[in-house]
Amino acid sequence: MLDVAPRVRKYEILPSLQPPGIPAVAPLPTGESEDTRRIAERFGEAVLAAGLHHGQQVVYIKPEQLVALAEFAKTDPHLRYETLIDVSAVDRSELPVSDHRFHTVYQLRSYSRKQHLMIVCPLEDGDEPTAPSLTGVYSGANWPEREVWDLMGIRFAGHPDPRRILMPENWPNHPLQKQVPLGGEEVPFTLTWEDPEFESLGKQILEAKSAPPKLPPGMSLENMIINLGPHHPSTHGVLRLVVELDGETVVNVDADLGYLHSGFEKTGENKRYKDFVYYTDRMDYLTAMSNNLGYCLAVEKLLGVEIPPRAQVLRVIMAELQRIASHLFWLSTHVLDVSGTGMSLLMYATRERERILDLFEMVCGARLTVGYMRIGGVSRDIPPAFLPHLEEFLKIMPEQIDDYERMLTHGPLWSERLIGIGKITREEALDMGLTGPMLRGSGVDWDLRRDAPYSGYENYDFKVPVANEGDCYARYLVRMEEMRQSLRIIRQAVDNLPDGPYRAEDRKITPPPRAELDISMEALIHHFKLMTEGFHVPPGMAYQGIESSKGELGFFIYSDGSARPYRLHVRGPSFNNLYAISKMSKGHMLSDVITNIGSIDIVLGEVDR
Amino acid sequence: MNWSDALIQLQYDLGAPQELSWLVEGVTYFIGAFILANAALILALLLIWITRKVISRIQDRIGPNRVGPYGLFQTVADALKLLSKEDITPASADKISYLLAPVLSVVGVLMALAVIPFGPALIGADLNVAVLYLVALGSLGIMAALMAGWGSNNKYALLAGFRVVAQLLSYEIPMVLAMLAPVLLVGSMSMQRISEAQALYLGPINLGIGWLIFLLPGAFLIYLIAALAEAEQTPFDLLEAESELIAGFHIEYSGMKFAMFFLAQFLNSFFLGAIAVVLFLGGWQGPFAAQIPLLGPIYFLAKTFLVYVVIQWIKGTFPRVRIDQMMQFAWKVLVPLALALITAQMIIMKLPLPIWLNYLLLLAANLAVVVAVLNILGSYFEREQVRSKRAFAPRSLIGTMQPVQSSSGD
Repeated sequence: MLDVAPRVRKYEILPSLQPPGIPAVAPLPTGESEDTRRIAERFGEAVLAAGLHHGQQVVYIKPEQLVALAEFAKTDPHLRYETLIDVSAVDRSELPVSDHRFHTVYQLRSYSRKQHLMIVCPLEDGDEPTAPSLTGVYSGANWPEREVWDLMGIRFAGHPDPRRILMPENWPNHPLQKQVPLGGEEVPFTLTWEDPEFESLGKQILEAKSAPPKLPPGMSLENMIINLGPHHPSTHGVLRLVVELDGETVVNVDADLGYLHSGFEKTGENKRYKDFVYYTDRMDYLTAMSNNLGYCLAVEKLLGVEIPPRAQVLRVIMAELQRIASHLFWLSTHVLDVSGTGMSLLMYATRERERILDLFEMVCGARLTVGYMRIGGVSRDIPPAFLPHLEEFLKIMPEQIDDYERMLTHGPLWSERLIGIGKITREEALDMGLTGPMLRGSGVDWDLRRDAPYSGYENYDFKVPVANEGDCYARYLVRMEEMRQSLRIIRQAVDNLPDGPYRAEDRKITPPPRAELDISMEALIHHFKLMTEGFHVPPGMAYQGIESSKGELGFFIYSDGSARPYRLHVRGPSFNNLYAISKMSKGHMLSDVITNIGSIDIVLGEVDR
Repeated sequence: MNWSDALIQLQYDLGAPQELSWLVEGVTYFIGAFILANAALILALLLIWITRKVISRIQDRIGPNRVGPYGLFQTVADALKLLSKEDITPASADKISYLLAPVLSVVGVLMALAVIPFGPALIGADLNVAVLYLVALGSLGIMAALMAGWGSNNKYALLAGFRVVAQLLSYEIPMVLAMLAPVLLVGSMSMQRISEAQALYLGPINLGIGWLIFLLPGAFLIYLIAALAEAEQTPFDLLEAESELIAGFHIEYSGMKFAMFFLAQFLNSFFLGAIAVVLFLGGWQGPFAAQIPLLGPIYFLAKTFLVYVVIQWIKGTFPRVRIDQMMQFAWKVLVPLALALITAQMIIMKLPLPIWLNYLLLLAANLAVVVAVLNILGSYFEREQVRSKRAFAPRSLIGTMQPVQSSSGD
């Protein structure tokens, strides 16, 4: 099965290039903040290090004290970290260290205090690296921990449902471990068909055995078990829901993920920083701009590069347009799910989304997978025709949203189908680590754009819609209002669009303009270096979350000082939000499962990554 | 003269012997049934085209416009494609019910044609229990869908089969009760008699606008809602609910067998519209229909197509209801109202009052039902107005969260 040695890319060993950088360990945090001091005082010896790192609060804790620390952070009145945003892990086997091969990394968030805390837990080495499970403290740790077990091979002691989640149950390895090869076959760099490399072309390197399906835990064959998906019109891709039905009432739901797992994280660890931007487009393909932005911000955090104001405003315009486009697509598919193909709103919303895609085409030539943003700015300036078209869009869009609302919000049947369905209370939402409209629909007044501003969002005046009910209807209202607020942001951004460069002038990061290449030797060298080797990012680790249309999209990057990320983890909002489907659907009808899927607003490209 | 009499006479004129009258009649009815059944199939092609065009216009699209003028032959092309498709029978299907179901569904619908009066002399068979006959035929459709759902051996199809029985049986009751209103008033179950009764004489001239909808709007409304459910149209199209049950009971059918279900569904909504036209909208009656007989079928088809377009309009505008909401609406709203309406009508008709006062009371009772139905729908609407405001007042939540205390961290 696993007889393939790790492959080494050929361009790396070309003699004309420098070695791709000496691996280094991320430096320990320095200084301290109120929270880290409090934790250090409380846990004493168990805290290995605590302080600030790239402006982030980081605590290194021994595994024995991890659960206690999480409980302390959650319950202590001065800390109040209500929610666990993300769980990830780093395999340090290729770093120049000899102990603690695995680190698990937790992102905690305090909504009430607007604080973020990163907990790093170095695990003891052994045959089976084991970390204590945080599911007892934050139930939202369930799926992320399963993901870490699946991809990194770290067991979680006390986890209630320790199955693999993305890969098949019988997959022979844990793909994110460093000794696992990239997978698939290399494309031979030759033009002669006699080359022996062609013999292995197209051959699968890992043997995948089929496994008989297992009944998910907690289900019994006494009731009807029905497979919703993976090929079902309403699962928004290849999601498989195993639904246990008593008549038409849902007894149990279990989500089976991974049909679209494409290993973005592993790919990212084998790409240069600047090359991964285009991959992020393909994760949540409905919010490509936001994905670009999130990734670029995370890398820029490590680089410490200054982004020119024009680029920041352009990024905001694009991200907000993308939010509207994504919400429009959500609306049309949600309506389609709830009401059937006859319903006209599907076409109306798609019609308006088309205008946004046209605008994207204008700025970057692509409509869906845009790849517009670059580390250090954006790829090109907007064309002169962009702003007039945007103005036109800003003029017609509010009326269109009013039209949708007249059709749905004020129609009896729509509210009848949505009110009271998929209820999530405020506490549950915090506990499950939901983000975005799922969180705001449950009465938590939180928006990263306002509460942890990035990319200059603090300069805009907008409201964050919040609804208390926590049902599908509340989330629907929140999203509808978000579209209006996004229009407001775009309006302000267009009015205050500054002149100036559209990307950072740092030649170590952004390539020089084409004209400069003809006259400047130095520019040519920079260009050559960037295009072949890429830029090096100083060692360190950073987590950057942005408010994507579906929730908090987070990128965790562990840099070893080379031109490629040592560890790249993506926190997909759809993945964490989809965890709620079981809770939302139990006791409702089969139709409500469909409504709930639509209300969560998932994109399987991001759930499975 | 009736068309069948004319055909029989023609055969005798051509030299058919008098002693073979049974054969002559048989040939006559065969010709009539053949023409009607084939006309229905062609009609279905037209109906599907209308649906596509109407829905696409509502949805801001153009709709089929490539095959033939205005895309008229698109459906023909689709039918040809379906004919050429592989005819799959699942290995584990219950063969008899699986194969019988599509035939049964089409037969049930086509048989309804026999009693529809297209004009003063254009009716297949003027049964004196025509309304009862139509109701009985409705159950054939239920059987077909249930057989398809059970016979396919597919869980989705089975779920749809459950829904079929629940939905169609529940809505048959208010529909039959609503159909009873014109029957009681006219005093006959014959479709032709009911059509004729909807004349309006101004002296000797028949204006043809004595439609029962002016007298029985409540019964019409109940009938229309129930007919939407019976025709499996939005907002009651849970049987096929493509977003939930993928295609419902015909999920396992392909090729021509699928086309037959498709056909039956479109014809069914057309005929339920036709019944509405006969019972409430005057049938073939209209200005000068009595003087120019050719106008009769034109009026009839025009009205029926209008009802059909309205059904499609609803389809383009409304979401689908959930199964429990649908059942609640049938049993808690429509059935009591229809029962009350029929009871009131019977009492009013027995009252020893002048006929105009009787009619006035009847109208009042019907209007009360209309108001009740609209009120029940409207109460949702009002609640909605309140609810729609709730997301736009996020200020109410400010204060539940505390402001930032320190500038440390991120």
